[in-house]
Amino acid sequence: MADSEMGEATLERKLAVYRNLDERFVIREEKYKGQQFSHIYFMRLHHMRSQLQSLIPKWKPHLPVNTVLGLEEGKECIIVGTLYKHMKLKPSILDEYSKERSAIPLVKPHNFMSTDDHLILEDESGRVKLAGPMLAPSAFVTGIVIAVHGKETSEGDFFVEDFLEAGLAPQVDRPLDSREDKFVAFVSGLSVGTNAFNPLQFQLLVDHVTGHLGDENEQRISSKIVQLVIAGNSMHISHGFFSGQTVAPKDHAKLTEPIRELDIFLTQLVAALPVDIMPGCNDPANYSLPQQPLHRCLFAGASAYNTFVSCTNPHHFELDNVQFVGTSGQNIDDLYKYSDAKDKIEFMERTLRWRHLAPTAPNTLGCYPYVDKDPFLIESCPHVYFVGNQEKYETRLLQGPDKQLVRLISIPRFCETGVAVMLNLRNLECHALSFSTNL
Amino acid sequence: MSSSNITSFFRQEKKTTKRKNDGGGVAIAKLCSKIRSDLAPLLVSSTDQLRSTKESTKEAEERLKEFDIDMRYGPSMGLTRIERWDRASALGLCPPADVESLLLATSTISHCLWQGRV
Repeated sequence: MADSEMGEATLERKLAVYRNLDERFVIREEKYKGQQFSHIYFMRLHHMRSQLQSLIPKWKPHLPVNTVLGLEEGKECIIVGTLYKHMKLKPSILDEYSKERSAIPLVKPHNFMSTDDHLILEDESGRVKLAGPMLAPSAFVTGIVIAVHGKETSEGDFFVEDFLEAGLAPQVDRPLDSREDKFVAFVSGLSVGTNAFNPLQFQLLVDHVTGHLGDENEQRISSKIVQLVIAGNSMHISHGFFSGQTVAPKDHAKLTEPIRELDIFLTQLVAALPVDIMPGCNDPANYSLPQQPLHRCLFAGASAYNTFVSCTNPHHFELDNVQFVGTSGQNIDDLYKYSDAKDKIEFMERTLRWRHLAPTAPNTLGCYPYVDKDPFLIESCPHVYFVGNQEKYETRLLQGPDKQLVRLISIPRFCETGVAVMLNLRNLECHALSFSTNL
Repeated sequence: MSSSNITSFFRQEKKTTKRKNDGGGVAIAKLCSKIRSDLAPLLVSSTDQLRSTKESTKEAEERLKEFDIDMRYGPSMGLTRIERWDRASALGLCPPADVESLLLATSTISHCLWQGRV
């Protein structure tokens, strides 16, 4: 038998039905007319209040629901509103003008929590300080909408006896009839253009995913990868270039080289399988959320393929009817600055229970001043929720009270860890792919 | 906040049932009828119209100011009144229909009373 005929059966890559659902994050008809952020908060409160109001009768049916202004001292009731966390260490633009600087340390800590933080509940009619041991300020942030049960004290505070978060949103059933394994690969924080980027390490990943690496068994695994998602920070453009000043000719290369290098890698990838690329905080995209898709002209080679999809951040898509929602990390990183949890996965769980992807926007996280919507509200619980550019790979399968099942994935920075993540669409099982060039 | 700040742009008036202008308009009409009987009807109707347009504009503006301040429909700054009405309607808050007809029909100010001042 001729050598060329032995073991030459072509393996075909599996396919999955893809639907891009980024429309609500794309800024298309919105016109900025100088409006402020009060409108987003109004939309958020209105939407979340109607959700909470349908849950309150099951929680405490015998209590009346009041507005903040309608509170009476000593009368037990429920109020619904937006939380505001007063933090004395939170950096404020007005600090430059304050006469006494003692409260603000010169070296900015990573986390701005202090023991003096307290929570305030606000609705359209007014605001009231929340007192009592039930609500630990360290677990909450400004911008979430909750219902609290308690009564007004003589000092004018509201003593909280119990509180209600909206909880996981209802979930569409995941199709359970698939028999074959299909994998989705996630990677983030490639940081092409920095010293941390190791081209050989990334080339190993590209070769593995495209099936150019290994023997038939390995290629069989690679043929089951139906989608690659790059969750932000694929390049690193030095922030000095964002100042708006003209770039000197000698610096042009520093600007274009990372983009061109990334395009070469991407072209290899899109020639083999569908790729979704999201912008992150270091990519050449807008700063405030939702970040708009990276422009096609950056990827002269890869954009010629129809498998190349440039996405928004946050990104929402569907693969074989499995719902995916994810971000490049800014929402979770901001929660980490203003609250405390045992790990990043817990922050992710909280955003799902609060039904809002980025509750600290627009308070401490840049966001577009929408007038008639809040696109970060989670109306339907996803099946897979991923966050990019984290320190390490972590994952958990979250179970909700209404039979919701969510796979939470924290994707580590590839330039630091060499780790990518693989998810099996059939059973939502997750494992890490580790690439190393150290011999 | 002292009331003098607010009254500079939000003048509140006592609601009176009798208006001084009524007497004036009727007096002018009587005078005209004495001098020029043939022109009197024309003069009466035009002053009447002028007066009622001014009144109705004032009333319309009052009604719209009430709509601006109503906190059920959200913040009023940063968007036109008709946009705010449409937003309230889309959210199912049932904003008053008379406000909608006022906004579409008459030439009222399109922005809320704080626009450009804050």
